[in-house]
Amino acid sequence: MSVNTQVSEDGRKLTISIKGRFDFAKHQEFRDSFGQINKQLNSVVVDLKEATYLDSSALGMLLLLRDHAGGDESDVRLVNSSSDVRKILAISNFDKLFDIS
Amino acid sequence: MTDTHLDRDVLSALQEVMEEDYPVLLDTFLADSEERLQILREAPDAAQLISAAHSFKGSSSNMGALRLARLCHELEQRAQEKAPKGLAKLVGEIDGEFALVRPLYEAERQRSLASDSSNRCC
Amino acid sequence: MSDLAPPFEPLTVLIAEDSAADRLLLSGIVRRQGHAVLLAANGAEALELYRQARPHLVLMDALMPVMDGFDAARQIKQLAGETLVPIIFLTSLSENEGLARCLEAGGDDFLAKPYDQVVLAAKIKAMDRLRRLQATVLEQRDQIVRHHRYLLNEQRVAKAVFDKVAHSGCLSAPNIRYRQSPYALFNGDLLLAAFTPAGDMHVLLGDFTGHGLPAAVGAMPLAEVFYGMTAKGFGLAQILREMNAKLKRILPVDMFCCATLLSLSFQRRSAEVWNGGMPDGYLHDIASGERRPLKSRHLPLGVLSAQAFDDRTEVFPMALGDRVLLLTDGVIDTCDSAEQLFGVERLLQVFADNLEPGQLFEEIEQALRDFGGQARDDVSMLEISLVEPAQLTPPALVYSDSGQSSPLDWSLSFEFRAESLKRFDPLPYLLQLLLEVHGLRAQSAALHSVLAELYSNALEHGVLGLDSRLKRDVRGFARYYQLRNARLEQLQEGYLRVHVQVAPQGTGGCLVIEVEDSGHGFDVQRVMDRPLDLGRLSGRGVSLIRQLSRNASWSDDGRRARVEFSWEAQA
Repeated sequence: MSVNTQVSEDGRKLTISIKGRFDFAKHQEFRDSFGQINKQLNSVVVDLKEATYLDSSALGMLLLLRDHAGGDESDVRLVNSSSDVRKILAISNFDKLFDIS
Repeated sequence: MTDTHLDRDVLSALQEVMEEDYPVLLDTFLADSEERLQILREAPDAAQLISAAHSFKGSSSNMGALRLARLCHELEQRAQEKAPKGLAKLVGEIDGEFALVRPLYEAERQRSLASDSSNRCC
Repeated sequence: MSDLAPPFEPLTVLIAEDSAADRLLLSGIVRRQGHAVLLAANGAEALELYRQARPHLVLMDALMPVMDGFDAARQIKQLAGETLVPIIFLTSLSENEGLARCLEAGGDDFLAKPYDQVVLAAKIKAMDRLRRLQATVLEQRDQIVRHHRYLLNEQRVAKAVFDKVAHSGCLSAPNIRYRQSPYALFNGDLLLAAFTPAGDMHVLLGDFTGHGLPAAVGAMPLAEVFYGMTAKGFGLAQILREMNAKLKRILPVDMFCCATLLSLSFQRRSAEVWNGGMPDGYLHDIASGERRPLKSRHLPLGVLSAQAFDDRTEVFPMALGDRVLLLTDGVIDTCDSAEQLFGVERLLQVFADNLEPGQLFEEIEQALRDFGGQARDDVSMLEISLVEPAQLTPPALVYSDSGQSSPLDWSLSFEFRAESLKRFDPLPYLLQLLLEVHGLRAQSAALHSVLAELYSNALEHGVLGLDSRLKRDVRGFARYYQLRNARLEQLQEGYLRVHVQVAPQGTGGCLVIEVEDSGHGFDVQRVMDRPLDLGRLSGRGVSLIRQLSRNASWSDDGRRARVEFSWEAQA
């Protein structure tokens, strides 16, 4: 599985880790990981440490995630992005929607 | 090492498969075998000899004539040697073995026809 | 627990065996297993029977007269083509060589003599499973091929519809060069260009997420908005807001459109840019040789709600001959066989090496070829140059009415106050109204330009108090527009009044436009005394107004501007 999910002990934070290329092939797996989003969750963290590449469908998937997590009220963070991934996120100005680190 | 002349188990399996065509099978085998024996006796070139022996081996093994099959196999092997020896003697043995099993097949044929008709009576 | 075994299906089995007894026996065994049987005594008969009856499976004796089993097997396999016809060799060949020959000849399995019916039944079943698997694979492959053809056809149809909706606009204008694959649309690439009524050009280079029809489908509504609003004289900000709202409404959450929008004004010699998610565009200053990157500062279209959408543009001065280059990420992302990207550095190197601006396109394409990258369908490029307005011929506006009714004697006044000025541009509506006067239609370009100048002067210099002298150089230009946006956002007080009057005059008519603002005014005489010089970056556009209209005059310390347009009777 190249998309792994983990819920924190207090049940408030969901961490989704992506490994390898984050592209259309991961679509179903990524969507399945949303299933864990429920009202008790405060925040969602997407760990991109092992993500090598992001394409526009990945950006779309992040938007979908944000939408599921509450849209404008959501707290979605993208963490551990490599410089390549950061560049891609920067061009689309996704830092205006997500907390990126 | 004594080969069975005629394996009865094979025969009963054959009968089960062929049902009312069992006698036809036996007849066909006997007729085929006569032809092949004729070829063997006429001692043609090596290729024909080997081919006939091979063929005879195959059908005799199918029909349960185990010793016959083994003799044919031996003939097939020997005929492929550079300087084959004792071929005529071997053909003679095959001839003899067939003469032995032939009446056994004929008896088998009679038996199956009889039991068949007796079955039909009921 | 495994599934129930599939229901028994009888097969047609071809038996090729030269020994009559063996043939009879085999036929009995196979029939007893429920299958139909075809009998051949040699390879040639077997081949002929196969040709006629196309049995499902073949039991082939290896050594037969006339044509042996190996030959027959080879030929049968050839006849079968893509279909799998399993061939089980019957042999009392016990040597390995003999068995190897069977497999080489295309045999799939072999059965030794004496025949064991249990083994034979199992082999037939196994071979039949393989046969059916192959048949399924072929059927699915054929289905895929069929569906692919349908898809291609659908795309053709979609493209035909799209081409009608999104005609190429003014991409064929002499100051535009572009490259685009004919099926770029199905990679989400969109290239649109159109004249505004004032003679400016609007350009859009877009890149939708996805591929195929989903990517193409968003392009149509977007193109309609772009062309419709551009033709009516709407500015970039409003067009952007409308496009964003439309896409946000109609596209699913995970779909959006990266885009760069450009408005080039040949009269004002400026380029207004908005880039959301596209790679850098480049503004080439011919005099200094500098290529300024036009960076993505916004989220792509279709992501943010209307309230959150940021329509702020950047404005740059341009000189005659300056060019803007836009490209999609297909250029940067072209990969070679080692999965290396062409990348921005190589592109910048092409720029640095370029001596003849007119050759830039070819040099970029050559560089891509030299790089050895795989040709892609989504490499779209556009280069637009600033030229003298006289060199361009915008198409005549097409009017949809019958030309019978024309309001000839009327006046209209309205006042826009702070809150409206922030969010609303009344010009397109005003112009629509004025163009109802048929006599004015021939001068619509001048009318648009003059009204736009009057309005922006009144708003920027009047209400917002911006000094046009700030626009003396590039940095000043940028600063000016930043200040404009900032002050507009914070605007609390102020107004702008427009008064329009149309009256008959002689055989034709006359239009009087007055624009009044709440600002501090300016030294009219000083500005009028300056010679007409359109080469300067700044200036109140006063020159332009004087050039394009009649009897332009200013009063009330420059707070009120008045212009006239007149026309003769229509022939």
